[in-house]
Amino acid sequence: MSTIVLDPITRLEGHLKVSVTLDANNIVTAAQATGNLYRDFENMLIGRGPKDAAFLTQRICGVCPVSHAIASVKATEQAAGFTPSLQSLLLRNLIQGANFISSNVLHFYQLALMDYVQGPQMHPWTPGYTQDFRFNATDSQALINNYVAALSIRRQAHEMGAIFGGKLPHVGNVVPGGVTAIPSATDITNFRNYLNTITTFIQTTYATDVNKLASTYSDYYTVGKGYGNLISFGVFDTNTSGNKLYPAGTVTNGTIGSFTQTNIKEYVGHSWYSSPSGYNPASETTTPSFGKAGAYTWLKAPRYNGAAYEAGSIARTWLTGEYRRDVSVMDRHLARYTETNKIAINMQTWLNQVVVGQNQFTNLGTPASGSGIGLTEAPRGALGHWLSVASSKITKYQIVTPTCWNASPMDDAGIVGPMEKALIGTHVVNSAQPVELLRIVHSFDPCTGCSVHVMSPEGLEMSNFVVQPLGV
Amino acid sequence: MQISRREFLKWSVAAAISLGIELSLGSVSNVLAAETDPPIIWLQGSGCSGCTISTLNVTNPTTIDNVLLNKISMKYNSTLMTASGDLAMQTLDQSATQYNGQFILVVEGAVPTGANGNYCVIGEVDGTHLTMEQAVLKYGPMAKYVVAAGTCASFGGVSAAGANATGCLTASSILSGKTVNPVVNLPGCPVHPTVLIQTLLDLILIGMPSLDRSNRPSNYFGTKIHSMCPRKGTTVVKQLGQYGCYKNVGCKGPGTQNVCPSMQWNNGQAWCIGVNYPCIGCANPDFPANPLCKV
Repeated sequence: MSTIVLDPITRLEGHLKVSVTLDANNIVTAAQATGNLYRDFENMLIGRGPKDAAFLTQRICGVCPVSHAIASVKATEQAAGFTPSLQSLLLRNLIQGANFISSNVLHFYQLALMDYVQGPQMHPWTPGYTQDFRFNATDSQALINNYVAALSIRRQAHEMGAIFGGKLPHVGNVVPGGVTAIPSATDITNFRNYLNTITTFIQTTYATDVNKLASTYSDYYTVGKGYGNLISFGVFDTNTSGNKLYPAGTVTNGTIGSFTQTNIKEYVGHSWYSSPSGYNPASETTTPSFGKAGAYTWLKAPRYNGAAYEAGSIARTWLTGEYRRDVSVMDRHLARYTETNKIAINMQTWLNQVVVGQNQFTNLGTPASGSGIGLTEAPRGALGHWLSVASSKITKYQIVTPTCWNASPMDDAGIVGPMEKALIGTHVVNSAQPVELLRIVHSFDPCTGCSVHVMSPEGLEMSNFVVQPLGV
Repeated sequence: MQISRREFLKWSVAAAISLGIELSLGSVSNVLAAETDPPIIWLQGSGCSGCTISTLNVTNPTTIDNVLLNKISMKYNSTLMTASGDLAMQTLDQSATQYNGQFILVVEGAVPTGANGNYCVIGEVDGTHLTMEQAVLKYGPMAKYVVAAGTCASFGGVSAAGANATGCLTASSILSGKTVNPVVNLPGCPVHPTVLIQTLLDLILIGMPSLDRSNRPSNYFGTKIHSMCPRKGTTVVKQLGQYGCYKNVGCKGPGTQNVCPSMQWNNGQAWCIGVNYPCIGCANPDFPANPLCKV
């Protein structure tokens, strides 16, 4: 028996450590994922006006700030009893879609690909493992060239999103009441030009490369499955009635189902918190306690009906039926590609609906009291913000993040998190270069900046996890 | 992308080495020359990696591929680097040792000091974890220059907001009196990519820039946003979302120094006021002020 500790796991946002135990045949028998950063984010929001939250919470994650902004404004709008206009929803979709594309392209080329192909012999691409590189000279060169091209494409996706969002990362105008940008004809043409370039890249280069990866490493269709249970909060509003391009839902042992938030409980038996374990987020508290006996991470362990669920592209595309081959390292990459293409195509449709020169923003007053829930998806999975307001100030703010689900630790019943489960059973060919472990971890697109937060919805009942239309 | 001879050699050598193809000695020495590029060690503390992502967005003075291939040698940046685990930590320490007194340390994010620094661990060395606080204290004094990228590293920012329960401090306060040169603060949430990359290149080619009282380069932070704002002198509006000047709805432009009006963001595509929202003062020492704006 031996152990491997990978700390840090690089090529992701944040601070993640993974430790595994190997048996005599180099098969992983146990795994622990450790979130190594605690920020106390929710507490800093208490006492501020609710409109500040969309700006502050974006600063949780520089890779998916738009999703945090949208979750936050949805929560505040629900508390205010306000339904944004279709034009506002379209602009939000375009800004969030740009962020999704940038993040997914970054993930495939800059974060994941170096586990499969050797980069230039210079920093930051070397040193690295040299284990199990399979591409021939032509394909290696093409992938490396496309790594460079992808740097430009992900940058251009941010430039596209900034046309309506002001700047990226951290947009300037996705606020309760809508989006303050007033689209001009030039803006729309500019946006379309970017989108055409980016869509071509997705449908030619990205499509070719992800399929090339899948065919060359087809054994990774059977590596890193995990539990196979999937969860999504839904994203990209297509009308003001709550319909979405990717609807909310769950997949449990292969069966598609709805979602009820009271089925969530969070466990901290193996997390660095001294607060009570096993509570619904509505009634739990969070007290950090570094060094607690038996604990190994700043992440809590959220469970749905007592089971561990995986979030991300694979969950979204499974629920729509776009991608249902299986759950594995390679399936996650293909699902991520599939949705990237779908989002780009739908952005063309949304852009065509944007009305030139229309000021669709409504100046909301600050809600004096109330509560709201904002649910959306970050590229890497389900994201929710829970807000309570009294005397026009935030009294409680809680955030549910995707990597909370994916990289969660063992719970009090001994059930390990989805990423930990995905690592168990893996054969590590060369324990000095455990590239198999990196490939599994990276396939989740983990983001631990996102994951270091407590989750405490205010006990509001949600049917099928869809935000109810407001103010009607 | 136009590939220079030097870039071509670097990339083709990578492919060749991975395939075991023999290269002529001349080509290899050209490639090795690339490793003499000025070394950068980039540490991420309590933050969101948004400053790294913003840096990837650079277009002026050049794009990130050219920066990484031809201008600097990025020894350590956990978002970009291939190596993980021991290999990453060895790269960090060996680079700092090999280039002791020569490298530039970039600090992104604030530095948590609560719980003995254990609110942020950046990696493990010989079974012992290394906190961000320990890493900054170890490598800051070895660096020729230290750059605080973004508002968190410069002033605390969002990471130190509210009660600051994790005890976040700035790079300059952690390293007070311990560095060869004063810590260069490049605030902004995120840092503007041109400000970051041009400052790195200036440090390499020219040396320390002229700094203001907040240790910011005077050439980027000497002008108030309001004084350069193209909306200055337009109708003073009472509501965001309308075209006009937002000084009556809490715009922080009159008290914030940054390059936004002149350079804008994302390759000049836009900026906050340009999409009809007031400046929230994200480059200010008191960011995030409460409230961010009056509206």
